[in-house]
Amino acid sequence: MKQIEGVMYQANAPKGVDPDGIFFVQVDPAKCEACGSCDEVCATGAIQAINDDGIHAVVDPAACMNCGQCLVNCPYGAIYEGVSYVDEIFEKLKDPDTIVVSMPAPAVRYGLGECFGAPTGTYVGGKMHAALRKLGFDYIWDNEFTADVTIMEEGTELIQRVKEQGKKNARPLPQFTSCCPGWVKFAETFYPDLMPNLSSCKSPIGMLGPLAKTYGAHETHTKAKKIYTVSIMPCIAKKYEGLRPELADSGFRDIDATINTRELAHMIKTAGISFNSLPSQQPDPALGDSTGAATIFGNSGGVMEAALRLAYEVLSGKKLDNPDIKVVRTHEGINTADVKVPGFGTVKVAVASGLSNAAKLCDEVRAGKSPYHFIEIMSCPGGCVNGGGQPLDPEIRASLFRSTVAQINKRFRARKVTA
Amino acid sequence: MKMNRRGFMKTCGIMAGYAVLGVNLTKEAVASAMDFVGMRQKSVYDADANSKIYKYRKSQDNPMIKKIYDHKNGFLHEGPCGHMSHHLLHTHYVDRSARLATLKDKGFKFNL
Repeated sequence: MKQIEGVMYQANAPKGVDPDGIFFVQVDPAKCEACGSCDEVCATGAIQAINDDGIHAVVDPAACMNCGQCLVNCPYGAIYEGVSYVDEIFEKLKDPDTIVVSMPAPAVRYGLGECFGAPTGTYVGGKMHAALRKLGFDYIWDNEFTADVTIMEEGTELIQRVKEQGKKNARPLPQFTSCCPGWVKFAETFYPDLMPNLSSCKSPIGMLGPLAKTYGAHETHTKAKKIYTVSIMPCIAKKYEGLRPELADSGFRDIDATINTRELAHMIKTAGISFNSLPSQQPDPALGDSTGAATIFGNSGGVMEAALRLAYEVLSGKKLDNPDIKVVRTHEGINTADVKVPGFGTVKVAVASGLSNAAKLCDEVRAGKSPYHFIEIMSCPGGCVNGGGQPLDPEIRASLFRSTVAQINKRFRARKVTA
Repeated sequence: MKMNRRGFMKTCGIMAGYAVLGVNLTKEAVASAMDFVGMRQKSVYDADANSKIYKYRKSQDNPMIKKIYDHKNGFLHEGPCGHMSHHLLHTHYVDRSARLATLKDKGFKFNL
């Protein structure tokens, strides 16, 4: 076990194993104070009291969606991660025969700075690319590029589904997004009858892995078998996704390693890089350049807004003058909207933030009562910016400890003064 | 409603929180978690709207997207949802409900 940005990690880098058997998050019974914060935030009930003292545990990986909301909300730091590729990545970076490729997700650049003292949410995309170069990554590719690809693929799929309604073998509506790995496992586990509604598109990282080893290898004249792809995510469930046996379409494992924002911060610190004094740098263009539509994937409602920026133009044939579609932006709960597209009609959409809200929309679809064309679901409330792999909210631990201590100290001092 | 040990402990915890911190501070501590997320969300939308960070705001306007989907020489020249897309960028899903059913048969209780 090692501590990384306030969270304990097991140095376990699984290869070729069934991810269904792995505990990606688990409770250290010695640190659990039986407060129950974790089972309050868990939508499935996978984390629960296992004895009369109220000590908690993830009872079985089959019921855990690996979202890590229990971990980021535990005030005692009692929940640890079961998988970390950090040591392996350091080895690969040293190996001159391995071409190591970085693939950071949108939300990472809004959390990473916090580990280096920046205020909450500070954008550090340029510094992040510079840090990855300094760490020795051979290509600075970016998952935001494949967020743009996802919009092209998933938007086209949605338009196809809408057009084929009423025909034979039509794929059903609503179409669900498939970017969030916690949600995908949730659908497979609790709503397998709705799998035909899930977009067949891989998530952005599921697309960047195989593109890196085919298109990327071709563009850079690199042998695909030398490429080692590192997915950098605000997420714990992405570690599960990276191990899915079906993600091997490039002829190799599409994703070789997955780490999260906290682990990237740890790597930068371990390498002795002075993050705050780094210049702002661009990614390598072929699989690196991206748009605002890609970066908003990090927020709940972002995939929806980005997809609508495409669907509006394709369906209406007109230019969308103001790309802000604020009605779908979601902070918590469920958000629904009717988006009027000229020459087409109304596109009915819904966005769910958190899996218990997702279940409500799923029940509606299952009952045949869902009026929507397109539904976006994010497992973590607020979206990836609040992912299980992001830097911890200092308030969650401070609120319990520091403010209690501060209050007691204040009363103690106040009493002394008046005495 | 029957009060179990854990429920009792939790109620005591919340009562102690109010007793020590006062009503407003405890409310603030609960609300602050979403404020924290809100700050990150705002930063994302600010970057999207900042032309110095993102020159383009629509995926279809990204020059590298135009290059990869180029009808003539693009790697995905058949366009979105073409053959190459289906081979590399699309997937299938696996029914995982059986494992959960086995757990429920063993007596485990879940929320769904």
